[in-house]
Amino acid sequence: MIARLEAEGIPGGITAGKVGVWWFLASEIMVFGGLITTYIVFRLGGPGWAEASQHLSTTLAAINTLVLLTSSFTVVQAFVAAERGDARALRMHLGLTILGGFIFLGIKAVEYTTEIRAGFTPGAGIFWSFYYMMTGLHALHVLGGVVVNGVVLATEGAKVKNPHRVELAGLYWHFVDVVWIFLFPLLYLV
Amino acid sequence: MASGKAHPNYTAVWLWLLALLGLGVAASFLPGGRTFAVLVIFATALAKATLVAANFMHLRFEPALIYALVLIPLLFLIVLAAALFPDFVWHSLAP
Repeated sequence: MIARLEAEGIPGGITAGKVGVWWFLASEIMVFGGLITTYIVFRLGGPGWAEASQHLSTTLAAINTLVLLTSSFTVVQAFVAAERGDARALRMHLGLTILGGFIFLGIKAVEYTTEIRAGFTPGAGIFWSFYYMMTGLHALHVLGGVVVNGVVLATEGAKVKNPHRVELAGLYWHFVDVVWIFLFPLLYLV
Repeated sequence: MASGKAHPNYTAVWLWLLALLGLGVAASFLPGGRTFAVLVIFATALAKATLVAANFMHLRFEPALIYALVLIPLLFLIVLAAALFPDFVWHSLAP
């Protein structure tokens, strides 16, 4: 019933489910955008931020960026497979996407452990407060995406019934990827 | 995107994303002044985000309603940045 309503067209030639997901992403833009804007304004206004960010591992973050960009590619391949009704290819690509999410979170956990052991806790300074807030909120979104992709895998993996759901789950996953595309240079590179 | 329509070349988009990632990381090692490096880093980030949104998220194929849903919050962000900016100027001028 819900799946049918999602897939139903509304005037303008798009599905109701897609408008719903984009509407949700619009609110998410404000959540992350507010944090990122505040971070930029604070960083421009205060000294010492660049030195603090030197303690982060650019190598691990670059690997994580590679992992997320690649998982965006696999989730879109899952959608192509779903459109074809190819459940086997869908399982493989969604599975790879979920694996990418877990690899990302694993690398993030290694980073957090290293930083906290070196004394850079969330209370170590304003850069670190922003760092843990922004990456932590993002990591929760990755975890959320893994769950959503897992649900789609469980419901569509055996036989593709609602291919549009794979696209909707993919939209969210790409958004999480786009947020990281901006967090990576803001926190690690600059 | 309605099913049956042609897809963008996803593999090419992915390879571009990897190339831009490499370029951004390489720019962070540029010697000398930071301004040029920072410009390159953020230009590659913006290019990556645009590639993902246009192709992977199918924005290229979406009608005006979806664009409105994306652009309105981005407009709010510009307003937010403009509203916060006086605070930054105030702190940098204060003794």
